[in-house]
Amino acid sequence: MNYIEIGHGSGGKLMRDLIQNLFLKYLGSEELKPLEDAASVKIGSAEAAMTTDSYVIRPLFFPGGDIGKLSVCGTVNDLLVSGAVPRYLSLGVILEEGFPLESLEIVLKSISESALAAGVRVVTGDTKVVEKNKCDGLYINTTGMGEIARQLPVSNVSAGDAIIISGTVGDHGTAVAIARHGFDIQAPVKSDCSSLTDLIIPLFKIEGLRWMRDPTRGGLATVLVELSGAAGLGIEINEERVPVREDVRFIQDMLGYDPLYLANEGKAVIVTSSESAARVLESLKRHPLGKDAAVIGKTTAKFRGVRLKTKIGGERALEMLEEEMLPRIC
Amino acid sequence: MKTTQNILKHIRSLVPADRKVRIMNVCGSHEHTIAFSGMRTLLPESLEIIPGPGCPVCVCPESDIINAISLSTRDDVILVTYGDMLRVPSKEGSIRSRGRNYRMITSPSEAVALARSNPDKKIVFFSIGFETTTAPTAAILETGVPDNLFILSSHRLTPTIMEVLVKDQEIGIDGFIAPGHVSAIVGANAWNVFSEQYGIPTVVAGFEAESLMLGITEILIQLKRGMASTGNVYAGVVRPEGNVQARAIMDRYFEVADVNWRGIGHIPASGLELRDAHAMKDARKVFGLPEIKESHIPGCLCGTIVLGKAYPSACGLFKKACTPKTPKGPCMVSMEGSCNIWFKAGSA
Ligand code: SF4
Repeated sequence: MNYIEIGHGSGGKLMRDLIQNLFLKYLGSEELKPLEDAASVKIGSAEAAMTTDSYVIRPLFFPGGDIGKLSVCGTVNDLLVSGAVPRYLSLGVILEEGFPLESLEIVLKSISESALAAGVRVVTGDTKVVEKNKCDGLYINTTGMGEIARQLPVSNVSAGDAIIISGTVGDHGTAVAIARHGFDIQAPVKSDCSSLTDLIIPLFKIEGLRWMRDPTRGGLATVLVELSGAAGLGIEINEERVPVREDVRFIQDMLGYDPLYLANEGKAVIVTSSESAARVLESLKRHPLGKDAAVIGKTTAKFRGVRLKTKIGGERALEMLEEEMLPRIC
Repeated sequence: MKTTQNILKHIRSLVPADRKVRIMNVCGSHEHTIAFSGMRTLLPESLEIIPGPGCPVCVCPESDIINAISLSTRDDVILVTYGDMLRVPSKEGSIRSRGRNYRMITSPSEAVALARSNPDKKIVFFSIGFETTTAPTAAILETGVPDNLFILSSHRLTPTIMEVLVKDQEIGIDGFIAPGHVSAIVGANAWNVFSEQYGIPTVVAGFEAESLMLGITEILIQLKRGMASTGNVYAGVVRPEGNVQARAIMDRYFEVADVNWRGIGHIPASGLELRDAHAMKDARKVFGLPEIKESHIPGCLCGTIVLGKAYPSACGLFKKACTPKTPKGPCMVSMEGSCNIWFKAGSA
């Protein structure tokens, strides 16, 4: 008998295998099969993008955000990186008996503010309460629908394209790890949790835009490994160009995590034609959320997989990590 | 300041063309930097940087782990130890899989706090590691601990194991990169024995790639000149005499003992046990812990890898049956274990 392990939920190899071997065995619709962050659906003649995500984060409140903000931003960002303009959200809330109403109010306020900032409206919802100890205070599920502005299938990506990250990596993972471990750190690292609406929508006009993904669970490295596999191309990344905040690097050294594998909740990995890279970068940098954006590497046909050029000029391969090695933070 | 590229050029010019040079590091954090910086892909092939016994979790005897597991199953005991130790496999499973009352701590003071808040329990601190973790354990004893706190000491001495390695012709070490943190305690002078008695250049290095490469450069210079001395490119942190005060406190509570190293065997005068004067704190004596014969893990090369006689990639289980999620041997468990580091850093 095989059982679900905690690692099956952490976004890495185990989860991939579970989806491929079990979920797709029974649920292999055309829309689901590409396993993109959002699916393209047709209703009558209208086309839309649709995505869903559940939020089971601990702690519920962390520096820079809370489960409410996260449940809006995460879903909105999934729509955006799929080339859609987010419009509507559903909100499913599972509460544990004994959860303080005051905390719920804070979360709902945060959802309301985040939705306003992200340009989406919550249009339907559901509330369930389970007995004490049957859930961790509060779980949220949101489903998002958006208007498709650009088709960005991975088949767009070709050799020689530029790879851009919209800002520093590992902030969210570090913030949550600190909040969870209860480290006593003077100026806490804040989660980057934010909706990318204003950052991403201007990119839809840029012709050379090929593909995007938000590097949440599993971080930048996992997204790149998946991209390399899906596009059938190699990826070369220059470690020195990958922006990491000083304090984040320090804490990650201490905890033994690799920033490349840590979660982000307000970042996008963007692939563009090499000609358009400068325009994309310029557009990103115009927005405060994109001020640290950088071209970090390129795709190549010379090899498969992801290679990291290290700061000293050495080389190592980035691979899909197993769950145990990623801090569980979602 | 020299740039990385200049240091590399210098290293290349110093490596002899006609023979292999084998330099060993004895610190998991050094190996971490070397693997994660991809340093080996930049060095000439005839220069080998070998990870040695830099992982205290890897060499902690199976017997102690089994004793820790059984202590944790007693109703009157809470076993506490560092996180990695919870997952180290033994023939009886790991503390996490088979233990009952156990907690992870990140520093010995947490064990003291736990003992204070659980006066009706016996708190056993399974204290493992090289000189760097011995010092804080000695420090809590020095400041005074509650009567219900006991120590299961599995501390090991870095200089002693290095001396064992030097004498082993099969490894053929040409130079040592001495560990930064351990050196801060034992002092750079502790390594003089290697240059003076064995003619092996030994250089203390810090944890940045540049510092390690400077250390390697210094070893190569000494080899080229046919001389050997103790070098220190981490002088900002490591003093020749080390931390005298910390050593004095360690000495007050611990004495050198003949102990087992997992996968390696019995080594005289290579570990630390509590002195007789502190027998009432010694979990081995208080609980009458038995010495359990070590079992062999089929296929696991940990013992060989720790001695620098094989790389993790030589193990048939590496990345296949043995991963950080399903560690078969101790070297895959700890952040300082070579197999774990090589797994995470990916191959070049
Ligand atoms: S890969 Fe696993 S089994 Fe092989 S030597 Fe390392 S720890 Fe032992």
